[in-house]
Amino acid sequence: MGPGTTWYIAVAAILFGIGTIGVILRRSPLIVLLSLEIMLNSSNLALVGFSRHFGTVDGQIFAICVMAVAAAEVVLGLGLIVAFTRRNMPLDVDAAMELRG
Amino acid sequence: MIVGSWVCLLAPLAGALLITLAGTHISRSTAAWISTGSVFVGFAGALVAFIQVAGESAEERSHLSTAYTWLGIGQFEVPMQILVDPVSLVMMMIITGVGGLIVWYSVGYMKGEDEERRYFAYMAFFVFSMLMLVMGGNLLLLLVGWGLVGLASYLLIGFYHDRPEAIAAAKKAFIMNAIGDAAMALGFFLLISKTGTLSYSENFEIASSGQLPTSTMNLIALGLLVGAIAKSAQLPLHTWLPDAMEGPTPVSALIHAATMVTAGVYLIVRTHEIFEAAPNVQHLAAIIGGVTIIVAGVIALVQWDIKRVIAYSTMSQIGYMFLAAGIGSYGYAMFHLFTHAFFKALLFLAAGVIIHHLAGEQDVRKMGGLKSVMPYTHAVFLIGALALAGIPPLSGFWSKDGIISAALADGGALGFTLVALGLVGALLTGAYTFRLYYLVFHGEPSDLVLEHAGGHGAGHAHGAESAAGHDEHGHGEGPFSMLIPVGVLAVFSTVAGFLVIPGLWEPFLHWIDSVAEPLVIATVAQDYMTSAIAVLLAGTGIWLARSAFREGEDLVPQGRLRTILEHKLYFDELYDALFSRPSQLAANLLREKVEEPIIQDSLGEIGDRVREAGSGTARLQTGLLRSYALAIAVSVVILVVVFMAVR
Repeated sequence: MGPGTTWYIAVAAILFGIGTIGVILRRSPLIVLLSLEIMLNSSNLALVGFSRHFGTVDGQIFAICVMAVAAAEVVLGLGLIVAFTRRNMPLDVDAAMELRG
Repeated sequence: MIVGSWVCLLAPLAGALLITLAGTHISRSTAAWISTGSVFVGFAGALVAFIQVAGESAEERSHLSTAYTWLGIGQFEVPMQILVDPVSLVMMMIITGVGGLIVWYSVGYMKGEDEERRYFAYMAFFVFSMLMLVMGGNLLLLLVGWGLVGLASYLLIGFYHDRPEAIAAAKKAFIMNAIGDAAMALGFFLLISKTGTLSYSENFEIASSGQLPTSTMNLIALGLLVGAIAKSAQLPLHTWLPDAMEGPTPVSALIHAATMVTAGVYLIVRTHEIFEAAPNVQHLAAIIGGVTIIVAGVIALVQWDIKRVIAYSTMSQIGYMFLAAGIGSYGYAMFHLFTHAFFKALLFLAAGVIIHHLAGEQDVRKMGGLKSVMPYTHAVFLIGALALAGIPPLSGFWSKDGIISAALADGGALGFTLVALGLVGALLTGAYTFRLYYLVFHGEPSDLVLEHAGGHGAGHAHGAESAAGHDEHGHGEGPFSMLIPVGVLAVFSTVAGFLVIPGLWEPFLHWIDSVAEPLVIATVAQDYMTSAIAVLLAGTGIWLARSAFREGEDLVPQGRLRTILEHKLYFDELYDALFSRPSQLAANLLREKVEEPIIQDSLGEIGDRVREAGSGTARLQTGLLRSYALAIAVSVVILVVVFMAVR
């Protein structure tokens, strides 16, 4: 049978926490993007886990949608990083603070 | 006849629309001729309708023609309809006939004026509005026409919109008329709320059946009377008419002498069943008319502006019409309206020829001796003046004396008072008319007259009403397009009176009687007796004016009386003190005590506070991406905790 649903959810929660901490603490935009991916995939894991638990495919379909969104998000994120380098800005998310009030 | 009437109503509207839409694609003179032509087409339509209606028997002369439903609210419908009957036909022919002549005259008078096209579009629009007023087949359409003529009058008085006095006069006329319009609308609303119908015939049936209490009828009639007074410049809502002379002279002739100001008389004749159900109010109309005859007559004695003298004389003559309508002599009210339209338009247009000739000068003190310089104008003006004074056999004699004799036939304290007022009015009319005539035409030619006498070329064109019409060389006195209409009006002023010769031949009175049965009919003896006295008094007035002029004096000697008259009995000052200044004071007070401290400052305060709050919260926007992420994460955690706790 393999591990129960609880384990999947626990792993997903841990991954989500790691991802969140990464987004909050790390300053390199690349790492921030990576952390975002970890958060998205942790939610995918949770969706698939629940899907298996309830015996329906809804969660799996959602997971596929989330992957598509994640792919699009990476395109934007990488585009932003390219824009950073084009403007000779340091690769530091704290440097991009022009919109402060 | 129905087709003719619709043509009569719609031709001037089409003319006005055409000029407006064509804009600068047509030349100025084309616009002038479109306007003139459309009004004359309307006259042709009215004439056709008149001939057909005249061929019918007296009982069947009232026709109601409905074009379509103008407004429909559930079961309640307001049809777009016209009423063609003897009274409206008389008005139609006066409006389009005299109106057409006056618009034709304007072709010469307004030549070279700025914005001629606008003027001619307004004139055609006025003729349409006035026709709407007299032809409208129900109460609401009457009110529509009533409002539209007020608008047209406002636009034309203020035609010289670069002159502050003209704008002030236009506003004054509009506000005074608005008072009357509101009173009249309230009267109609009350009537409609009681009867539930807009139709003339049904309303009049209910009014004359005595179903409604007298107090209600009094209120309704009073509302209509106030409307009529304001439109016809009777006391105490008369102060706008003399000021309205700021408009171009043909406008004064058409709107403020021949047609619009007589609308009040038409209203009383048209709704005479309502007034007859409220006899006190009808008598009030007669008294107001009688008092206006005297007041306007004495003020006219001291005026120096040629147009203002004629304007006061108009007020005075409409007073006669009100007097006649108020005692129920509807035929004579309409007859005086009819003859007055000719001789008063004639006087105004002749005055316009003089003003045009003298390049805009209107002060009679600067005129004099024009008789030898302008013989034609002198002749037609004299005809108009004699007709106005009521000298036989000219038209004013037949109509005015008929009114006085009707008042005599009415009898009683009221009747005799009105006879006295009418007779004194005849004396005053002779005096002020011929004071004007002698000042303008007799004596030594003044410098101004000599300056304009010989040289008739350019170079004299100065003043607001520039006399640029000289290039259309017709006659030494002005272009033909001005002199011909004046001549036609002079002919009609002479002969129009022969439609009523008491005791012998009274087709005009019988014509009106089929719509409005008179309440009083004078005997032939009364007629000729009052005529003799009135002519004697008018002759005395003329003799007084002549002898005063011979002695080089004015009719009213210097002194307190003259000062009072020169201030027009202080009506303007009174209204200023009663209404104008208190409302200005109140407005200033409200601005200083309410608007500035309370409304304006509180709004400013709200703005300041919002701005401060904004700059405070703006500090939260750090621009640091990671802090946003932290905020989101912390918020989510808090929300989760809260949801779990609440569950």
